[in-house]
Amino acid sequence: MFERAILHLDLDAFFVSVECLRNSSLSGIPLIIGGRGQRSVVASCSYEARRYGVHSAMPLQMALRLCPDAVVVHGDMDVYSRYSKLVTEIIASEAPAYEKASIDEFYLDLSGMDRYLGCWKWSGELRQKIIRESGLPISFGLSVNKLVSKVGTGEAKPNGAKMIVKGSEKHFLAPLSVKKLPAVGDATYKKLSFMGVRTVDTLSKIPPALLQREFGKQGLSLWNKANAIDESPVTPYSERKSLSTERTFQIDTTDVDWLKDSLAAMVTKLAYDLRRSGKLTSCVTVKLRYADFNTFSRQQLIPYTANDLELIRCARSLFDRLYERRQLVRLVGVKFSHLVEGSPQLDLFQDTLSDNRLLRVMDQVRDRFGNTALTRASLLDGDN
Amino acid sequence: MKFSVSSSELLKQLQVAGGAISNNPVLPILEDFLFKIQNNILTIIATDMESTIVKRIDVTSDENGSIAVPGKILLDTLKALPQQPITFSINPETKAIEITSAYGKYKLSGEDGDDFPDISHPDFEDDIKFSSEILLNGINHTLFATSNDELRLAMNGVFFKVEKNNLTLVATDAHKLVKCSFSNVESKNRASFILPKKSLNLLKSALSADEPVQMMVNETNAFFSFNNTTLICRLIDARYPDYNAVIPLNNPNLLVVPRQDFLSSLKRISIYAGKAFNKVTLSLVDSSLTLSSKDLDFSNEAIEQMPCEYTGDPMDIAFNVKFLIEMLSVLDCKEVQLKLATSTRAGILVPGEQDESEDTLMLLMPVMLETY
Repeated sequence: MFERAILHLDLDAFFVSVECLRNSSLSGIPLIIGGRGQRSVVASCSYEARRYGVHSAMPLQMALRLCPDAVVVHGDMDVYSRYSKLVTEIIASEAPAYEKASIDEFYLDLSGMDRYLGCWKWSGELRQKIIRESGLPISFGLSVNKLVSKVGTGEAKPNGAKMIVKGSEKHFLAPLSVKKLPAVGDATYKKLSFMGVRTVDTLSKIPPALLQREFGKQGLSLWNKANAIDESPVTPYSERKSLSTERTFQIDTTDVDWLKDSLAAMVTKLAYDLRRSGKLTSCVTVKLRYADFNTFSRQQLIPYTANDLELIRCARSLFDRLYERRQLVRLVGVKFSHLVEGSPQLDLFQDTLSDNRLLRVMDQVRDRFGNTALTRASLLDGDN
Repeated sequence: MKFSVSSSELLKQLQVAGGAISNNPVLPILEDFLFKIQNNILTIIATDMESTIVKRIDVTSDENGSIAVPGKILLDTLKALPQQPITFSINPETKAIEITSAYGKYKLSGEDGDDFPDISHPDFEDDIKFSSEILLNGINHTLFATSNDELRLAMNGVFFKVEKNNLTLVATDAHKLVKCSFSNVESKNRASFILPKKSLNLLKSALSADEPVQMMVNETNAFFSFNNTTLICRLIDARYPDYNAVIPLNNPNLLVVPRQDFLSSLKRISIYAGKAFNKVTLSLVDSSLTLSSKDLDFSNEAIEQMPCEYTGDPMDIAFNVKFLIEMLSVLDCKEVQLKLATSTRAGILVPGEQDESEDTLMLLMPVMLETY
């Protein structure tokens, strides 16, 4: 029945399910997982809360206006990672090849298993096993490629399963809204709506050349998706391409020194992660969002390094070139990309021996007592 | 205004001067050569406001004057003409230029010579004299070591330091450093300045072997005069890093190897080095040098061993092989010495034998053996 069989597993409302597991009094009521601050967003919400129109990535304030009775829980990422790991272990013990696409999503390549085991039967058993052993509800979609399986999972939720057999992929996708396709975000959806394209069926009938003209490179992949074409393989291990972090401030600010210090603190933390993973970066990007949500970023290529001071120097100079509006700033972020493994070329004027030794000792202290155990005094701030 | 000149002689001078004309000039008139005629001497000036070349040749002319001639069209015309006398006649009112060759006439429109930006002149007569050999040698040894990092402006050029009868050139990109000193120079006062890379390249192509060079400096420019040429370079206004402080003094480990053998070995090894770092590891024990490199991404690996003279503790040190190759390539001596302290301190590369009047020292920072 299947030449290529791809299974997509997705834990239902993962953070919520974990919270309910830890505290059963939370189950069955509108529950929202979100951060602490004024400006935090909904990380996840229960199906009861979704009925009120709450969805993830919505500002918490707005969610509470929609659903005043909702209980807000401040999530604990460590606990979620632990549960995610538990599920990963169950899958790893059963599956021939799997890809962990995110904290609560997995792709499995079951090609060739159909004849002997029956993909559908095997998948159902795997799902039951995960539910039994972890206590978390999970849904799956089974089909011929990653795309159709993922959309299938979306249709199967909550706590269900769906199989789309070979040959029926297009029929399955056709009546769905284009919004259901992965990679169709708000902007693309809007543009497609303006073009009069609402269902996948319509999208699949548009000539690809037209889509390419309207959306560029992405247009072609959009057309492929609408036609249920997706050749991407299940990749069991993928190398990290970049490290990044960003911070939205409680209150918008124009305090440049303070902004630069928080940028430096982020760089310090990220550089530590970089060194711990044995990597060096050669491209630093700084991102800046003003109060009116206009977002700008700038990047610079540098010689390979993982040295705090060098990276801070670079991030600061990028920030100086980026901040030119004299407007309140809402968010700053930093990203390291072009990562490679290796050992750095030493600098004649900048890294002195004592600097490098200091860096190494600081890392050892952080290894033992945590990332926040030790930092430069210049980066300490009341608000860190 | 009218003047006659040999086409090939003019072309020769224009080709050198044309090096100063930039591809996208700040002012349209900078695409032109400025021709100034005074008492049967034609002065050709080309500039991009950073570096200026002034050339002088003899012509026969009827009166004095100046005109800016479009550079590209003039050069193309001269290139297409065989050697012969040609005549320029210029209408002072309309600035129209008419070139007459044995084959016919070519008309082009020039611009007013007075619109051409003024070039600066040295404001004092304190000069430094040396042979072009020294300058060519110094530029060849240092130019490759300059940096392209916009954040480190000073390192984008070569540092010149003049002391009594001594000239030192230094270039660095923070990973490698070259210092060349020459003692057979004639100078009285001290001076130090940074010359940009482009000017040095121009200087290199304008200089011919074995001619006396006269150098003058003021606050903003350096002036090089030789033969019938003057080259004026805007200086880089930045503080040069303290290079003497980074040259390690105590280097107990000494490696002596034949330069050519070392270079060929490194060239082979470099093929197998990882592209991001080009790291080659030198393992040194008594009278044996082992070179190795690895590219983990492709499982490529190379190892070679060569005889050498080594005195000191056995040690491993890694360098960027591209840098080492560059440095060894610009030297021309039979043997080189590599003086080392530890695997995290700069290695000093010096020629095995040097002229008494010359002192070349190259410094290379290692690549760390392990990660942070």
